[in-house]
Amino acid sequence: MPLPLINPNAVFLNIPYDDEFQPLFTAYVVGIYQLRLIPFITSGIPGGERRLDRILALIQSCRYSIHDLSRVEISPSSPATPRFNMPLELGLTITWAKMHPKRHTWFLWESLPRRIQKSLSDLDGTDVYIHSGTPGGVLAELRNAFVREDTPPLSRMMDAYRAVEAEINRILREAGSRNLYSASAFQALCLVALDAWRRIQADFKK
Amino acid sequence: MMGSAMPRPVAYITARPAPIEVQIKHLGIPKARQKRLLAIMDQAWARVAKEKEGPLAGSDEVNEKSTNASAAD
Repeated sequence: MPLPLINPNAVFLNIPYDDEFQPLFTAYVVGIYQLRLIPFITSGIPGGERRLDRILALIQSCRYSIHDLSRVEISPSSPATPRFNMPLELGLTITWAKMHPKRHTWFLWESLPRRIQKSLSDLDGTDVYIHSGTPGGVLAELRNAFVREDTPPLSRMMDAYRAVEAEINRILREAGSRNLYSASAFQALCLVALDAWRRIQADFKK
Repeated sequence: MMGSAMPRPVAYITARPAPIEVQIKHLGIPKARQKRLLAIMDQAWARVAKEKEGPLAGSDEVNEKSTNASAAD
């Protein structure tokens, strides 16, 4: 069977889809576009038995992946249950990258140093990117993980984040959604993040 | 006992990105909707520019705490 085509600028984002994470999600999307990369998420993939196949196909088509395990915790609502989707997708990714190391590079992200050693000790020895639970931390660590010429300074990336975040509710309304992870809202977020890159580049050329 | 930490992976990106117009086209957003969204962002960027001219210009809020997105609706 032929190997799937890879998009060399694609980043698979393995993140929690919850309200509290939305500012960090916005920072990821804005920051990834500032690095001239393209984010992909699984929220648009329908459920059912084929969902896992489609997630795996998405991972295989992306050159990079970010696995943010900062919110792998027990849900407060009954029955209290740990969240396994993100570790499962990380496991799929590690297997794929072990089989094809030149086709995929994965990055592990957390909010706290050393928490991963408690939650996932099998990954002991893997150094993680720590965003400290802040959008600024996400942007700073994106710049550390992905090095590309002509990346704007962190202060301009923060401007882009602030501009988008300030209008999130209007963007959601326009998308007819209350959920930033829905396909329609994500599409809108990608557009305004791309536009932010264009505006910052235009400033540089002045 | 913890093992010695591996260096963090770093990706040096050299792949050329698709032109921005192509990327926007791939999003599949109708033109009218694009216009509405970009009009929203015109206002946001005007505010950012104004703020930067104010007393907080140049301040670095890299470590600002994450806030819930459901502010000022």
